[in-house]
Amino acid sequence: MPEAMLLGDLLRQMGISRRAFLKYASYMASLMALPPSVAGVMADGLAKARRQAVIWLSLQECTGCTESLTRSFSPSLEDLIFDFISLDYHHTLQAASGEAAEAARRQSMRENRGKYLVVVDGSVPTADGGVYSVIAGRTNMDMLAETVEHAAAVIAVGTCASFGGLPQADPNPTGAVAITKLVSGKPVINIPGCPPMPQAMAGTITHFLSFGTLPELDALQRPRAFFGETIHDRCYRRSFYERGMFAKSFDDEGARQGWCLYELGCKGPVTYNACASLKWNGGVSFPIQSGHGCIGCSEPRFWDRGGLYRPLSAGTTDVGKVIGIAAAAGAALGAGAAALARQRRASTSAKEA
Amino acid sequence: MELLDFARGTALAIAFAVFVAGTLWRLAGVLLLPRIRDFSPAREGAPPAMLGAVRAVLRRMWPRKEFVQATMFATINSYVFHIGLALVVFGLAPHILFIRNLTGLAWPALPSNLVFGIGVITLAALVGALARRLVHPVLRLLSHTGDYLSWLMTVLPVITGLLATSHLGARYETLLAVHILSVAALLVWFPFGKLMHAVLFAFSRGATGMRFSHRGVNV
Amino acid sequence: MEDLNAGPYATRRADAGSGVADAVVHEVARLLRRLAVDPDFADVIDLRSLPMADADRASLRQRLGDGEIDAALNLAGLTRIRDTAYSGVWWARHADADNRCVLEQIIVARVPELLMAHLADIDAAAVRLSLELSRAQGKPEHA
Repeated sequence: MPEAMLLGDLLRQMGISRRAFLKYASYMASLMALPPSVAGVMADGLAKARRQAVIWLSLQECTGCTESLTRSFSPSLEDLIFDFISLDYHHTLQAASGEAAEAARRQSMRENRGKYLVVVDGSVPTADGGVYSVIAGRTNMDMLAETVEHAAAVIAVGTCASFGGLPQADPNPTGAVAITKLVSGKPVINIPGCPPMPQAMAGTITHFLSFGTLPELDALQRPRAFFGETIHDRCYRRSFYERGMFAKSFDDEGARQGWCLYELGCKGPVTYNACASLKWNGGVSFPIQSGHGCIGCSEPRFWDRGGLYRPLSAGTTDVGKVIGIAAAAGAALGAGAAALARQRRASTSAKEA
Repeated sequence: MELLDFARGTALAIAFAVFVAGTLWRLAGVLLLPRIRDFSPAREGAPPAMLGAVRAVLRRMWPRKEFVQATMFATINSYVFHIGLALVVFGLAPHILFIRNLTGLAWPALPSNLVFGIGVITLAALVGALARRLVHPVLRLLSHTGDYLSWLMTVLPVITGLLATSHLGARYETLLAVHILSVAALLVWFPFGKLMHAVLFAFSRGATGMRFSHRGVNV
Repeated sequence: MEDLNAGPYATRRADAGSGVADAVVHEVARLLRRLAVDPDFADVIDLRSLPMADADRASLRQRLGDGEIDAALNLAGLTRIRDTAYSGVWWARHADADNRCVLEQIIVARVPELLMAHLADIDAAAVRLSLELSRAQGKPEHA
């Protein structure tokens, strides 16, 4: 039965006042780099919305995306997102299982036709008819197609759903593909990351609820509010990069002094995410602050970029064999050219003689 | 990002293959040519041929006294951009990483800000060289497409490198990809134009030195 | 001549050289002038969005000083709103349930919206209180 009550009234019954909405909206507006004056509009929008039906499909995934969202470290504030949505289907969080769970999914799709959000984590295997990931006897491809048909929008969370992720890494035996390759005719947002930042997931859903529209997206369909800048742009170790002070191994003097991790393979300069500004675990730290270079986990094909520890300025193919063959070929050609020249000289001298 | 992956992967592999094959082709092709034998006896006090060769290579690093005035700009300016290029290529940390990835060799880097300054000076000197080539009537007369192409292939990595390191003009992954592609282009062009002087100059001077040290006056 | 730096309007001199703090104070002054002319005006400066180091923030706090009001709001974590030495300028610190600061703002308004009771909440409260009264009247009187 679709929720008849507006969120404002529903949450007041739970003891959450409109004032709390305003605080939540202020927080979200700040996170998404919206002007603070928008908070009032956001709060009103949220209060007038109905609980958003969300169907969460977990396909070829590791559940890390769900872990990130549920372990978010501003409890009671970011947890509000779970009050704003009606999570009608989620393998890890729902109480029902088996046929009852599938029935709940179908019921939500029926009752909220055209209005529900589909959140997908995990890629979709397509090789051999898609048999490599099957839920309730149906392939992921099937279930995805059926579920998104009458959805309002699709949110692909995590790098697997956004770009293919780990399953798609070379040689991709299961034929894993990103959600955007299979869904057309519906707005799709990508929130990549391995896992993605919880604020990015919660913020995007909140934006949709408050304004009824999706936030501004970049060329890879990622919300600009969280994926507009690179890690490098906001890295606190940037001054060391500029001055050329790099750690050369994981425990040397440079590493202990907190120098730039470029030589240890940091992909910060080419990775778009909010880790360096929002940080993880409630703003405690992020990989570079903990001494490990960024692995570029919110970018496509990050597993196949030559290795996590190969610096950005180094080539990615092993050219030893190539150079060996080229050297032999070059020398042979040179010798051939010289031989021809000698032959020409011999025939010329013979003619002169 | 796909451009960067292509640049760091396929493009560099092809560039290295063409560079190595082409350079060895030309070098072997020249060195394996029949030698012009000189059957005359060596002059008195002639040094061994190899010593004469090495001396010529070193002596011709600086013009003869009589020609210094006339060739002042070319000499100074060329040294500026040659040394500048060497310092930038071998002194910047990311470049050292590139070489380490290829050869396993590495050495301490220069401060990045210093290398940036050297890069700017190198660029200025390269532009100066082009200007001279375009303005000097004799040089303009003698220059052909290959000369301008050699200049372009040399200057592009410098410009794109400066842009990439200042994060100016496009997203960083694009700037880095373009820089790496410009180096790949340089490598591909290298064996086919005057840039081969980098390899051949020693042999050329050496051959002249061998010949001159064998006979006639001591030069 | 009364000492404007004494009593409830005390401020302290800021440390030198905080460029960002200076810029913010200028902005606050501009907004406050606007508020002086138009009492319904309100605006918020999001401090998180500015490149402020801890020293800058401390300097800004010092320059704005403390006023008469220190309000604690329990809203999914503690939010503290303090009046500054300049009437109409307020400092809000929002924290989550672990008292981790998630947002800091400077609010220029007659009173920050968060402190005001929301119309919808008032409506609901009026209904609830009437219900409560009628329920109390329905019970036998206690001594």
